[in-house]
Amino acid sequence: MSADAARQREITGAVTGSLRFRLLAGAAVWIALALAMAGAVLSGLFRDHVARRFDAELTTHLNQLAALADTGADGAPVLRHPLSDPRFRLPLSGLYWQVNDTGGPRLRSRSLWDEALALPPDEPADGEVHRHVVTGPADRRLVVLERSVTLPGAPAPLRIAIAGDEGEMAGVIAAFDRVLWLSLGVLALVLIAAAVVQVSVGLRPLVRLRAELAEVRAGRKKRFGAVAPSEVQPLLEDLNALLDHSEEVVGRARLQAGNLAHALKTNLAVLANEADGLKPENARAVGAAIGRQVAEMRRHIDHHTARARAAAARGLPGIATPVADSAAALGRVMAKIHASDRVGDRVAVTVRVPREHVFAGERADLDEMLGNLLDNACKWARSRVEVTSRLEAGGMLAVSVDDDGPGLPADRRGAVLAPGVRLDESTPGTGLGLAVVRDVARLYGGDVRLSDSPLGGLRAELVLPVADGS
Amino acid sequence: MRLLVVEDDPALSRQLAGRLESAGYAVDVADNGEDGQFLGETEPYDAIVLDLGLPRVDGLSVLRNWRARGIAAPVIILTARGAWTEKVQGIDAGADDYLAKPFSMEELLARIRALIRRSKGHASAEIACGGVVLDTRSGRVTVDGQPVDLTAHEYRVLAYLMHRMGQVVSRAELTEHIYAQDFDRDSNTIEVFIGRLRRKLGVDVIKTVRGLGYKVEEP
Repeated sequence: MSADAARQREITGAVTGSLRFRLLAGAAVWIALALAMAGAVLSGLFRDHVARRFDAELTTHLNQLAALADTGADGAPVLRHPLSDPRFRLPLSGLYWQVNDTGGPRLRSRSLWDEALALPPDEPADGEVHRHVVTGPADRRLVVLERSVTLPGAPAPLRIAIAGDEGEMAGVIAAFDRVLWLSLGVLALVLIAAAVVQVSVGLRPLVRLRAELAEVRAGRKKRFGAVAPSEVQPLLEDLNALLDHSEEVVGRARLQAGNLAHALKTNLAVLANEADGLKPENARAVGAAIGRQVAEMRRHIDHHTARARAAAARGLPGIATPVADSAAALGRVMAKIHASDRVGDRVAVTVRVPREHVFAGERADLDEMLGNLLDNACKWARSRVEVTSRLEAGGMLAVSVDDDGPGLPADRRGAVLAPGVRLDESTPGTGLGLAVVRDVARLYGGDVRLSDSPLGGLRAELVLPVADGS
Repeated sequence: MRLLVVEDDPALSRQLAGRLESAGYAVDVADNGEDGQFLGETEPYDAIVLDLGLPRVDGLSVLRNWRARGIAAPVIILTARGAWTEKVQGIDAGADDYLAKPFSMEELLARIRALIRRSKGHASAEIACGGVVLDTRSGRVTVDGQPVDLTAHEYRVLAYLMHRMGQVVSRAELTEHIYAQDFDRDSNTIEVFIGRLRRKLGVDVIKTVRGLGYKVEEP
C-alpha cells in the first residue's frame, strides 16, 4: 500500500519535474486565461451593442407613433394611419404599441390582441423618454419606452408607449456567445498544439544529449562531441572535464594496481622458492628471508596506495586543507605512539603554523606526508620537534619539520629519498616514508628538501602548492 | 594482567591470543564489535587490543562508546588501515597507541607492556621491590640477581601485585585480573599461589592485609 503510494508519488514527481510538463502546463494556463478574458470582454461588448440597437429600434417606433397620433373628431386620440412595421398587426408578435390618456389605455396595437400593457404610474415631462421593464402578454418580459405627447385641442397630454420582447435580444446574445466560445476553444487547442511543437523543438538538444550520454555510458564514446545551445554548452564542457578527470584517475589507479601486482609477484616468487627449499636445518635462515620479503611487500603496498590516493585528488579544484589543523592532529598522534618507544623522556612536538597557510590538496595526503616526516623526526629527536611554515615565491608553501637529533650527513640525504632505503635497521620503520612523501609531494607539483636544522638535527622541508586565498 | 583482543580474523586472533598467553597474560577474545564492547564494559581489563574493521559495530565506534562510558583501560588499535589520517582518527577517538598491519608480534608485545606500565604509573620497564626485580620485557623475575622460576599463574599474580605496588589488592580483584573469562575460577587457589610465591621468592615482599587482601611493599 505504502509502496504503491510511494511509486505514485515518484511518477507524479517525474511528471511534474519534467521540463516538458512545466513548459506545457505554463502555456496551457496562460492560453486559457487570455482566451477566457478575451471571451468575457467580447461577450460583454456585444451584449451592450445589442441592447443599444434594441433601444434605438424602439425609439424609432416611438417617434413614428408620436408623429401619427392625432385627436379625433370626438376629441379621442386616433392614429392618422397604422404604423409601418407589420409586426404591430401580428398577434403576440413581440412588438407592441399603446396610447394612454388620463383614464387609461385608449388605443393599442393589434398585436396586443385583447390585453393591455400595464404601464407603471409615471408622468414623463415633455420630450423625455422613460424606460421600463414590465410583464406583458403570455408572461413575456417586455422593454417599454414611453413619452408624453400633448396634441392640439386635447384636454390632457397622452402617454404613448412602444414595447419590445426582451427575449429577442437574449436569443441573439446566446447565439453570438455560442459561436464566440466555440471559436475561442478551437483557438486554444491550436495554440496549445503550437506550444507542444515549440517545446519539443526547444528541448530536442537535451534529448540528443541524453542519447549521447547513453553512448558515453555504454563506452561507445569517450566524451560529448556535439555543440549544444549556449545555455547547455558550459554544462557539457564541465561534463567533459569530469570525464577526462575520471579517465585519468582510473588510468592511474590501473597503473598503480599493475605496478603493485608486478612488485608483489617478485616477492611471491622468492617466498615460493624459500618454501620449496625449507628443511629443518635451514629453518632459521628461511624464516629470516620470509621476514625480509614480508617487510618489502608491506613497503610496496604503502608506496602504491599512497600514490594512487594522491593521484586521485590531484587537480580537483576547491580542495583546501589548513596545514595547522593537520599538524596539530598529528602532534597528538605522535605524543601517543612515540610514548611507547621511550621510557621517561618524551619528545615535545611544537607546531607554529599560521592558520592562513592552506595547502591546495587533500587532508589525507597532507596527513600522509607530514605524518611520515614527523614520525621520522620523533624517532631521531632527543627532546624537541618543531613544525613551522612560510610562504615561498610561485604560490608555494614550505612546511619545515625540525628535530634536535643527530642529523644526517649531506652526502647521504639523496639516498634516504630513494624507495626502500633504511638508514638504521634498529629503529623500527619501513624506510619508505621519505620516498612516499616525495612521490606524493611531486604529484602535487611540490617536493621534499633535506637540510641542517637550527635545532641541531635534520630539517625536512615540504614544498607544496598554496590554496587560493592564503 | 588480563587483556581483551577484539579481532575478527580467526587466524590472526588465534595467533595473537597464543602469543599473548605465552607472554604471561590472561586473554579474552571477541570476534565482533558488539561482543567486544560488552566485554570491555563489564570486565576489568589491563589493556585492550582492538581491530577497526569489525562486524556489527566498527572498532572506532566501540572505542568511542567505551570512552563515553568512562572505560579508561589503555587501548591499542591494530589495523590494516595504516594511513596517517586514519591514525589521527583512531587517536582522537581515544586510543592510546596505534599499530598498522602487518606488524611484528615483538613490537606489539613491547607496546602492550609499555601501555600497561604507563597506565599503572611506572616509568621503567623493570619494577623492583626489596631485591625482587620484575622485568616486564622478558617476563623474568630475579631476587638479588638470581633468576626465579615461576609458573604462568604465579607470574601473573606477582606481576599484577608489583604493578600496583604499595596498594592493597583484594582477592577478588586479583582473581579478575589473572584469569580469562571462561576460566573456572576458585579464589582459594589465590592463597595457594601467594604461598608458593612467598616460598620461591624467599623475601617477605607480599604482605597480607587482614580482611582486605594483599599488598607488595619493601620488607
